[in-house]
Amino acid sequence: MKPSLRGQIPTLIVAVIAGTFGVALVQFDGIISAAVRADPVAGASVHTVPLLLGLAAISFIVLSLYVSGVVTSNTVATVVAGRTRQIALLRLIGSSARAERGRIAREGLLVGVIGAVVGAVIGTGVAALVGHLAVASRIFRPFVYSYATPTILLPVVAVAMTTWLAAWVGSRRVLDVRPVEALGNSTERSIPDIAVHRRRHRLALVLVIVGVVFLAAGVVLGLRFPPAVLLGLIGGLLSFSGIVFAADRVIPPVLRVVGRLVGTGTPARLAAENALRYPERSSRMTVGLVIGVTLVTTFSVTMQTFQDMLAIGARNDPQQYNGLGPIISGIVTVFSILIGFSALIAAVGLVNTLSLSVMQRTRELGLMRALGFTRRQLRSMIFAEAAALTATATVVGLVLGFVYGWIGAQSMLGGVHGHPGLVAPQIPWPIVLVVVVAAAVLTLVAAVSPSRRATRISPVAALAVE
Amino acid sequence: MRVSDRFDSAFSAVSWGRLPNFGCMASHTPADGVVADVSDLVKRYGAGATAVTALDEITLELRRGEFTAIMGPSGSGKSTLMHIMAGLDAASSGTVRLGGVDITALDDGDLTELRRRRVGFVFQSFNLLPILDVLGNVLLPFELDGRKPSAEERAWIDRLIDQLGLRNRLDHRPSQLSGGQQQRVAIARALATRPEIVFADEPTGNLDSRTGREVLGLLSDASRQHGQSIAMVTHDPVAASFADRILFLADGRIVRDSGRLQPEEIATFMLSIEAQR
Ligand SMILES: Nc1ncnc2c1ncn2[C@@H]1O[C@H](COP(=O)(O)OP(=O)(O)OP(=O)(O)O)[C@@H](O)[C@H]1O
Ligand SMILES: [Mg+2]
Repeated sequence: MKPSLRGQIPTLIVAVIAGTFGVALVQFDGIISAAVRADPVAGASVHTVPLLLGLAAISFIVLSLYVSGVVTSNTVATVVAGRTRQIALLRLIGSSARAERGRIAREGLLVGVIGAVVGAVIGTGVAALVGHLAVASRIFRPFVYSYATPTILLPVVAVAMTTWLAAWVGSRRVLDVRPVEALGNSTERSIPDIAVHRRRHRLALVLVIVGVVFLAAGVVLGLRFPPAVLLGLIGGLLSFSGIVFAADRVIPPVLRVVGRLVGTGTPARLAAENALRYPERSSRMTVGLVIGVTLVTTFSVTMQTFQDMLAIGARNDPQQYNGLGPIISGIVTVFSILIGFSALIAAVGLVNTLSLSVMQRTRELGLMRALGFTRRQLRSMIFAEAAALTATATVVGLVLGFVYGWIGAQSMLGGVHGHPGLVAPQIPWPIVLVVVVAAAVLTLVAAVSPSRRATRISPVAALAVE
Repeated sequence: MRVSDRFDSAFSAVSWGRLPNFGCMASHTPADGVVADVSDLVKRYGAGATAVTALDEITLELRRGEFTAIMGPSGSGKSTLMHIMAGLDAASSGTVRLGGVDITALDDGDLTELRRRRVGFVFQSFNLLPILDVLGNVLLPFELDGRKPSAEERAWIDRLIDQLGLRNRLDHRPSQLSGGQQQRVAIARALATRPEIVFADEPTGNLDSRTGREVLGLLSDASRQHGQSIAMVTHDPVAASFADRILFLADGRIVRDSGRLQPEEIATFMLSIEAQR
């Protein structure tokens, strides 16, 4: 059967962004290293700069791959859920579940390779342009650098592999599509497969518990021993993965409250109902964004706390902290932009899954039109749904980010004065504002095209869709 | 005169008189007891050599309180006719009126309001919103209208729910119901607002013959006991035999307009139409 290109475009976009990001970082790395080498006064930094840059680039690429992996597997899961009937029909006439899943994973590999290569071209172009501008504006001296460096293969291969793996993980549900579902009339199973879920939730609980132990150890040991922040980091990764695994438990309660706040009219009520009716679907849509917001918030809370501490230190002992401020805030800005890229991928994921899920509900929306839902009501319903989803992701992400950010700051800085002490968490209000505004913009962007498509649905045509 | 005719006029006095005025639409009902009518209705799909004339100058009137079946071979234009009469689709030319109002000139918003307040629908399948439970689906037309059913309406809905045997299913989701139960919910929803007319497109098409007969019995009860006007598209002679009046369509034209018929007579006539093609 021909792969449906339509369902693959979202995955392709994510792969292209991740590829562009990874390749551009590697190229910037090369450019800066080459520029440092070309600068006679750089001296000792000739060796340390490339090393540090390399480490930073790898961290950020891994981060963006993690987010794009989660986003892609959720997109694939959404596509699979929408194709349940078709898959069930193929199963009914004798295709094996494994063959169906293999086909989806192969599509993922193909899309991943295409996306990574396209991303490599765009990323190299962007890097070359920036390098050229930097030389033209005399920030860098003219340097020699070949853009055809083999190192760019690393992000290219990593993006293709991540997409492949994510498609494989996301298509897991194909295995539990039962042939009889071809005959039912539900588009998505609403009664979850209890056993599978229980196993996953148990794993999630273990991860969270172990993670919290590590986090606590980081905080306690950090009082005397700053490198304990690494324990905190491990704890953060473990517990956060646990939360991601159990997203269909964590998200719906928040969604319920937020959904009530979104509005009381019929469209808003139906939107909330829609979001809650399929907890798996809603968690799939939001979890990427939760990760993005959590990352941004964690980083900025930690950094804000760190910077405030530096500022106090500088006031008490200007000599020792001389000139540190601007460097630190420069690094913070660059890192924030880099983390913002992961958040961008997450946002693309939400836009994709929302529009996929609206497309999959064509028939339902057509029925609503037939029964007397006006175009306006339909539009407000989709906007309310988008708003509920982004608001939920933002709230969860901000809360998690504050907690992780404070734990990070506490374990890193708890012993910094030579004696144990509590670090007051600092809330970076500008970043919170940016996150909230970005979420609002994302709501609009995510809802625009699905709502336009939904209002164009002719009831007669929608009811004829089989 | 049928028993229902007398019931009908009394019924309309209490129920229709109470309904709010529909903005641009005059809410008067014609004295001749016509609930919906079309004249010189043409529906064409496509253009040029590939154009299909689905409806070819159809003129007909549906009478208030009557249960009308629309029959015909596959592709004869039954669904198209129903969609246009219900304001779901636009005619290529001709006039379409519902409750005395010309709906060909209405814009999308007015048509939507018309469907919501004056028309009930029962489709062959996928009638219900999967996110709502049974009661939510039955009350959906009120919900869409942004109002709560009045005490009187609630009593009526309660009666429907009991009559249709849905009492202990109210909090079930559509996916937890059998095909026949889903159709009964759709019927309850279609009747809940006491619309001018209920359009049903093959409401029994997905049901076994016993469940199908049950559903048909419920529809004809609604018409007989409550004076509900119903237009039902079907190609099943048994289903059509429940109706007071049967319209036969072939190639987009009405070829026969008949009163009540036995299933055998209907089947024989259908065979004769199909033989001519
Ligand atoms: N959207 C469309 N585009 C083009 N042609 C159409 C469209 N919808 C219906 N038709 C054509 O119009 C004619 C009437 O179709 P309609 O669906 O009304 O038939 P029907 O009597 O309901 O048939 P069935 O019993 O199979 O449901 C058919 O020839 C059909 O091919
Ligand atoms: Mg039809």
